[in-house]
Amino acid sequence: MRRSNSELDRLRQGRSELENHYIDELVAGNVSRRDFLRRGSTIGMSMPLLGAILAACGSGSSSSKSAAGGSSNSSGGTPTKGGTLRVAGVTPAAAVNPLTVADAGGLLMLNQTGEFLIFDSNLKLALQPMLALSWSPNNDGSVWTFKLRQGVKFHNGAAMTADDVVYTFQQLSDPKNASNALSTFTGVLTPSGVKKVDQYTVEFHLEAPNGNFPYLVSSDNYNAIIVPKGTDFAKWQKTFVGTGAFKYGSYTQNVGASFVPNPDYWGTKPLLSGTSFKFYSAQGPMILGLQGNEVDVVSQFVPAGASALLNSSSYKIIKLNSANHRELSMRNDQPPFNDPRVRQALAYSLDRAGMVSALLSGDGHVANDYPFGPRFPSTDTSVAQRAQDIAKAKQLLQAAGHTSVSATLATEIYQEIPQLAQVIKADAAKAGFNINLKIEQQSAYYGKATFGNSDWLDSTLSLVDYGDRGVPNVFLEAPLTSSGPWNAAHFKNKTYDGLVKQYVAATDLQTQKSIAGKIEQLLLNETPLIIPYWIDGLTASTPNVGGLNPTAIAQLYLNTAYKSA
Amino acid sequence: MSIDAVPIESAGALAVERSEVRKDLLRQLVRSPLFLIGAFILLVWIVCAIFGSAIAPHSAFEQNLENINQAPSSAHLFGTDQLGRDMFSRVIVGSRNIMIIAPLGTILGTVLGTALGLIMGYFRGWPDDTLGRIVEAFLALPLVVTALLVVTALGHSNAIIILVIGIVFTPLIARTVRAAVLLESGLDYVSAARLRGERSPYIMFVEILPNVSAPILVEFTVRLGYAVFLVATLSFLGLGIQPPSPDWGLEISQNAQQVAAGYWWEVVFDAAAIISLVVAVNLVSDSIERVLER
Amino acid sequence: MLRFILKRLGLALITLWILSVIVFFAGQVLPGDPARAILGPLAAPQAVHALRHQLGLDQSLLSQYWNWISSFVKGDPGTSYQYQAPIGPILTAALGRSLKLAALAFVIVVPLSIFAGIVAALNVGRPVDRTISVVGLSGTTVPEFVSGIILIVVFAVGLGWLPVSALAPPGSSFLTQIKYLILPAIPLVLVLFGYIMRMARAGTVEALESDYARTATLKGLPRGVMIRRHVLRNSLLPTITVIATQTGYLIGGLVVVEVLFRYPGLGQLVAQAATNKDFPMLEAGVLTIGIVYMLVTLIADIGFSLLNPRIRLSAVE
Repeated sequence: MRRSNSELDRLRQGRSELENHYIDELVAGNVSRRDFLRRGSTIGMSMPLLGAILAACGSGSSSSKSAAGGSSNSSGGTPTKGGTLRVAGVTPAAAVNPLTVADAGGLLMLNQTGEFLIFDSNLKLALQPMLALSWSPNNDGSVWTFKLRQGVKFHNGAAMTADDVVYTFQQLSDPKNASNALSTFTGVLTPSGVKKVDQYTVEFHLEAPNGNFPYLVSSDNYNAIIVPKGTDFAKWQKTFVGTGAFKYGSYTQNVGASFVPNPDYWGTKPLLSGTSFKFYSAQGPMILGLQGNEVDVVSQFVPAGASALLNSSSYKIIKLNSANHRELSMRNDQPPFNDPRVRQALAYSLDRAGMVSALLSGDGHVANDYPFGPRFPSTDTSVAQRAQDIAKAKQLLQAAGHTSVSATLATEIYQEIPQLAQVIKADAAKAGFNINLKIEQQSAYYGKATFGNSDWLDSTLSLVDYGDRGVPNVFLEAPLTSSGPWNAAHFKNKTYDGLVKQYVAATDLQTQKSIAGKIEQLLLNETPLIIPYWIDGLTASTPNVGGLNPTAIAQLYLNTAYKSA
Repeated sequence: MSIDAVPIESAGALAVERSEVRKDLLRQLVRSPLFLIGAFILLVWIVCAIFGSAIAPHSAFEQNLENINQAPSSAHLFGTDQLGRDMFSRVIVGSRNIMIIAPLGTILGTVLGTALGLIMGYFRGWPDDTLGRIVEAFLALPLVVTALLVVTALGHSNAIIILVIGIVFTPLIARTVRAAVLLESGLDYVSAARLRGERSPYIMFVEILPNVSAPILVEFTVRLGYAVFLVATLSFLGLGIQPPSPDWGLEISQNAQQVAAGYWWEVVFDAAAIISLVVAVNLVSDSIERVLER
Repeated sequence: MLRFILKRLGLALITLWILSVIVFFAGQVLPGDPARAILGPLAAPQAVHALRHQLGLDQSLLSQYWNWISSFVKGDPGTSYQYQAPIGPILTAALGRSLKLAALAFVIVVPLSIFAGIVAALNVGRPVDRTISVVGLSGTTVPEFVSGIILIVVFAVGLGWLPVSALAPPGSSFLTQIKYLILPAIPLVLVLFGYIMRMARAGTVEALESDYARTATLKGLPRGVMIRRHVLRNSLLPTITVIATQTGYLIGGLVVVEVLFRYPGLGQLVAQAATNKDFPMLEAGVLTIGIVYMLVTLIADIGFSLLNPRIRLSAVE
């Protein structure tokens, strides 16, 4: 990597301290190319620049088209113009209100007409500019400045400026609003921290330094589509006004929606002459819909119950590396699980590889009881993976003074979770655990979702789903820190809390990685909860469809999609 | 088949006569091939329900994640399910739940419904109006709502599922019984009993009940089929029996999706088991009914 | 007659009111919270608090009920918590769909099962009777999600004869709509056939054994005429009651079929409202089902009295 240092020096000029630090790390071989792309994009370095740096370092760049919503898997025949793409989506659980949407069906609708400052591409595993052209932090990561794209028009004809962006984020971060984004912004951003600098520049003054802030205003935070200043969010579903490549055609509650191309779109105009969404309230009928030629695309599905698609060669499957996972929490504050040996015994009893192959048809990765996984570049991969070891589990249980342990496991009816619960029960039985299952409807399981009013948070053993996130911050905080609102494990550990604080504030990858290693080790020792596996995000289509751009949180961008005859 | 009031002094003679009658009935039943078929199937399921795991070739609960979704073969007669469990063993062991829950729930609903129906049909007037309103209200309440209310108020357990079935069936059966009682109470024998000064409970349960037993029996046998169905639906809605129980209805609801992938054996054998059980119960009850009518 | 109908309508109003009270107050034990249902379990507490206030959920139960019922009796079913939209249009659309599916199922199953029931009764004890009974019973025990999935896999995916889902594209002709509804109607026909058939059979058997049938036969009335004049009418009596009691199920109980065939009817709407504690929607849905149900039973009772010489409306009163 010494070859083109002069080229590298040229590229280094005018770069910030942090950016040069990253380049140093790349040159020193501390970060992989993929991680460099990912981290570089987080702090706002553009794709062409990152590509040039990689090229200068001698590692031939594979970097790609930089346009937002860059297309993927273009093996679906030749792109053709025209045609209406029929997409199966989950029925939105509530009103399509950008402020309150919290479900896969709703967020899929938001992203059809709305756009974000930044696009978090699961296909490329990097941040890409969308309505923001560039972004950069101050030295400690407590103030982030965003330069906006010019010449962008809302579907109502108004030009998009800093005022709209400020309005959007002030509403999203206002504790007085019923904003779903508050779970992300609490402790990070308040309305007064969102400041207009000029017509096309916005500053975010954070409550605490945050090295991953761009993710929080990216498509990861699915509520954060930019809407015109003064928008009444409750009435948004009547117009769907955004800046995207498609605009509102129709929306019928529980039935479906349609969208038409936006002739004023700032980017490449869509190839399709329209899109039509059909809502399904379960995955089975969705798959049957694809099989029966009722739809062309299943926007997102899980492997459980989808053998009909996965075992067939007549459908195209897009697989995304995702941080979608399950957490089995154990009450760390009550016997018998207040003894870490008992918790570890349960962890060692599980056959994770078997779970991935049987429950996920192999479309996932085994996980290691901490929320760092293959999706995140900051993961310290040197920590050894836990495997099933019944003898060790028995030994640990014995050391803790038990020959057998009985407990009730509460969980929800959602995707493959009921099956997972049964596998856990059977595996754990081999080590001497006698687990009773309480598998409930989601509303009953979550209850009021506060401590003392929720099977999710109160049960001795509780198995819950966590969707994809671009960074592990939420996974590290909410279910594990002492004051975490989703801490079903009732895990309270000051060392851990401190490490997480450091991790969140860290702006450079090397620091993040080293803290991650400490967190991983601590969580393995304590095992407050068990994470059996990471689940890939899956999208299916008929073979004549191409250019789909899904994300692991169930968004689907159709800017570049096409349907060949 | 109405039973007339029997003078007390002849009760002893009647008992002897009854045992004679019973022997005769049995002889007639044994001669009916349909009864024998039904009784045989029923017996098989009763044996399975009692000895379940002792007869089953494999454990009904043992998973084999490397051997999932296997088609029927000599090793696994009914194939394996999505967790690699032996379907044949699960069908055998699963009979116990259904043999307890469905009949008990149906009996509960039939007893309560018949009592309500008799009271409403016989007294008419305000008892009918008041009870009628409540019965109607429950009839109009969708199953999901009733089941959700009961299950969340009282929790998950087999006893609660029996109760849900009973509560769902009571107004349905009450309405049918009431209609039948309305027809009967206009007839002479009821007026005669009233004129004789018989007390209401006596007229209701001794005079009228036997005469409305035909629709009640039909209700019972049909409801028994529905009870099995209902258990399955409750599981489908997440309000029923808990996995990993091999309960037939639960199995069907958990594996229904698998049919689309071609794994029909994960559903069909359970469904066949349900059908065979209900048909068997029906053949037996039908034959008994017929013999009694003679 | 008019007095009877008016009285029944009055009673129906009371029933509906009881229903609304049961749903509202018993419904409070339902799990979850409307604000949580909208914002998801992972929402921040402040957001939930703010939404509860917006929806008026921080008021007392009695005043919530009063607010709801006072506008409901004025004809305004209110706004759905979940959809943040007026309930009227959502409800009528769903009701329309449910009625269509129920109507098709009835049109198929009623003549079919009554015919089968009479045939079985005329052949009591013979193989025909046994076959009809066993087939009918088998149908009632197959859950809709089993028959439904098999039908879809075979007829829609495999053979491609019929659509996978039940919802015809907007503006479809009557025949196209029926084509879409055939597959979802079949599981309902299977479920109802056995029951109605059994009732028709029992009614016919009874009528055949009755004095007037015997007298008619003795008088030398041809069997066909006797069946048409006397037996048929009496066999229909219990059948009518049975059909009426099934309306509730057909209108509001088809959650499973609706999910499977992607048919957003009343069943799904009510089930969702119940799980999300969307009370205005739940009340409106349940009361709509109640109204339909009560109208049908009223009509059934009138039909009952017209068909049965032994019972007059005064007796039903």
